[in-house]
Amino acid sequence: MRVGKWILASGIILAAVMAGAPALAQQRDFTIDPDYSCVACHTEKRRAFLLGTHSERGIRCHDCHGGVPQAFEQATAHAGADYIGTPGKLETVRLCASCHSDPDQMRRYGLPVGQLAEYRTSRHGHLLLEGGDLNAPTCTDCHDAHTILPPNDARSNVYPTNIAATCEDCHEDAALMGGYGLDTGQIETHRASAHGVALYVENNFAAPTCVSCHGSHAALPPAVSQIADVCGQCHVQVRRAFYSGAHGDAALAGTIPGCTACHSNHGTERVAPDQIAATCTECHEADSPAALIGVEIAEQVTRATQDLHSSEEAIHELIRAGRRVADVKLRHQTALTVYLQISQAQHSLDLEVLEDLSRQVGSIATDIRAAEEVAAEHRWEHGLTLIPVWFLALSAIVLAWFKLRALRKEEL
Amino acid sequence: MNEPQKKPRLKWLAVFWADLKASTDPALLGVARFLGLLYGPIDRTVSIDQAARKALGRRLPAFVGWRHALGGITYMLFIVLVVTGVLLSFYYRPSVQEAYPSIQYVVSEVPLGWLVRDLHVWSANLIVIAIMAHMARVFFAGTYKPPRETNWLAGLLLLLVVLAFGGTGYLLPWDQWAYWTTTEVLDTISRAPVLGVFASVLQGDAVVSGATLSRFFAWHVIILPWIAFALLLLHFSLLRKHGIAPPPGETREAGDGVPFFPNHLLKAFIVGVLVLAVAISLAALFPRPVGDPADPFTLPSALVSSWIVVDVSLALIRYLGVWGFWLFTLLGMSMALLPLFDRRPERRLRRRPIVLALGTLFFFGFLVAWLAGRQLRSLPPSTQLRPGEMIERFVPEQESAEAPQNEPDAEAEGGEEEQP
Repeated sequence: MRVGKWILASGIILAAVMAGAPALAQQRDFTIDPDYSCVACHTEKRRAFLLGTHSERGIRCHDCHGGVPQAFEQATAHAGADYIGTPGKLETVRLCASCHSDPDQMRRYGLPVGQLAEYRTSRHGHLLLEGGDLNAPTCTDCHDAHTILPPNDARSNVYPTNIAATCEDCHEDAALMGGYGLDTGQIETHRASAHGVALYVENNFAAPTCVSCHGSHAALPPAVSQIADVCGQCHVQVRRAFYSGAHGDAALAGTIPGCTACHSNHGTERVAPDQIAATCTECHEADSPAALIGVEIAEQVTRATQDLHSSEEAIHELIRAGRRVADVKLRHQTALTVYLQISQAQHSLDLEVLEDLSRQVGSIATDIRAAEEVAAEHRWEHGLTLIPVWFLALSAIVLAWFKLRALRKEEL
Repeated sequence: MNEPQKKPRLKWLAVFWADLKASTDPALLGVARFLGLLYGPIDRTVSIDQAARKALGRRLPAFVGWRHALGGITYMLFIVLVVTGVLLSFYYRPSVQEAYPSIQYVVSEVPLGWLVRDLHVWSANLIVIAIMAHMARVFFAGTYKPPRETNWLAGLLLLLVVLAFGGTGYLLPWDQWAYWTTTEVLDTISRAPVLGVFASVLQGDAVVSGATLSRFFAWHVIILPWIAFALLLLHFSLLRKHGIAPPPGETREAGDGVPFFPNHLLKAFIVGVLVLAVAISLAALFPRPVGDPADPFTLPSALVSSWIVVDVSLALIRYLGVWGFWLFTLLGMSMALLPLFDRRPERRLRRRPIVLALGTLFFFGFLVAWLAGRQLRSLPPSTQLRPGEMIERFVPEQESAEAPQNEPDAEAEGGEEEQP
């Protein structure tokens, strides 16, 4: 029996070691292969390449650059029919696509194969593939030539917080962009926008970067009639409300540039409640029925905003007074939800719905303020206790004083 | 019309009292005899009655005046703190989950709970003022000199105990202000060479946490009260032994003044009632607000201090830095050692310039720091840095000569430039 146990234990250990062996083998080998000649000269390229994901997959220099890696003389090594040295922009697209458009090769990594197809539809792809414009970016301009990393790696050029800087390389170059009739400054505007603040300051990775609206490989500005749909990918409820109103029809017809008509594109400016009416008059004449709807919307939104602020202040006061605010906070949360619905529903221009929602916020705020007023009354009553306290204290002091004086007289 | 109505009632009381004294009711006499049986043997052994009569009947020196009330006020405030503290302990629960809700319950649900709690907070402030005033009087009058130097040290130890009481009690409400003020002060103490170890032991965790709350509670309600009672006993015993120090140039013999009871006690009563009424008024008019519940992961928008010593400490830490805080503490500690060096019988202030300067610096500095601290409602600047600023401030820059060798990425980017 004892021998059987030993055999069983050894078997388990052996199985564990064998299961771990592939994992060990997959670890990156940083030692220099003495039989591989490329790295003898291109040491800095080797170092950069080892940081990237391709080195993990066993891809080597000659797989892209060709040549004879077994030869240790430059002339012989840089020879051979497949030697291409440093590939040009078009050759780069061809090289990358040779694997990345092949479903058989990409399947094992779970990667999509549509990048080339998408790239062909993009403005970048048009310029390079059809126009031969070497200013247009190729794969390595965004993904790096050797240190190629997946987009979820924080070191990658296409990581959400890095991608704006990658686009910036060309799109903030005024001389380069001038040739295509494009403005610069979009990226700075995006950084300062609500989206930029959410991404860079609040580290909210759900916030859109350049590629979220323009596409990555299929990079193009959205068409006028598509803008509301692009924004609506995230702002789903706003999109629904927008298309249920008159502005939605106008956007579909291409008469107005969707969301950007009021909010601008890269800046995504928020229209504050007190600016709503003025924003409407940018297109509609003042005193026109449409502008009056704007005034009414502004009033409803302003009232709801004020109610929300006042209930927040009331909660703050309740906390300071030591009241338990769990219930009140839940009610406030409800008011916030309704307020969120107001900010969505105002895009439908439906005044009845707005009025109803704004009334709901007002009703909750009134309740919360009433609770605060009760607490304030209690504080006032606390002050009233001082009347008996001081009456008793002063009476006691006066009596003691008289007694003290009488005692002094006795002593004398 | 009121007079005839009042008289019968008072008369009824007088008649009742007279009847009670003249009663031969066996049950009543039985109760009185039983109490006498209990008290008699005790009094014969310990002679409480005699001791009480002796204590009450002794005469205080004639120079004892209103200025000697400061120590008494301090003691009375201590009693108020003990009583209100015991009442609070009926409801307070020292755990991370329950501390804050229990304070809310005391303030908003318990009848007069708000008064007990705010009286506790305000007495904790007033006792510091009373101690400082008491100390200043003793210091400038030079009454700490032999033979009363031991009592001066006992008084200073009592001050430390009161500071420890306040410091440990400050965290107990477990709101944001309490949490982050304690964090900042413990952080400052932990940077001192020896006390740093003490601070980390007291904190009991890497950050201020439930472990800290338990420790502070234990110190506040179990350890410190015993130390305080022992020191108070020493303080009062020494006071009785050496008597109240006469003012410089006083020739009258002690014992030719007023009797302790009822003359002096009436004076103490007047002062005590006045101080208590002031404390209740402050409690009713300026309640200590409750902050948001403590949250180690969120900084409060501001720190609101509710204890004088916290005002002083924060002002010293913010305006003079950690070393300023410790220098001021050293100045205070140097006063503790003063009786060891200043043993001359000279007590006139004009002849003691160093003591005058030292005392003025400390007491005036305390006052200035307190007023400055009242203006502080902000968080320490170090907590408000954004990550970028923090890197710039705290991470040293790499030496430029070594940088290219250590940065493979720079090489990789160089490779891109070769492309057409």
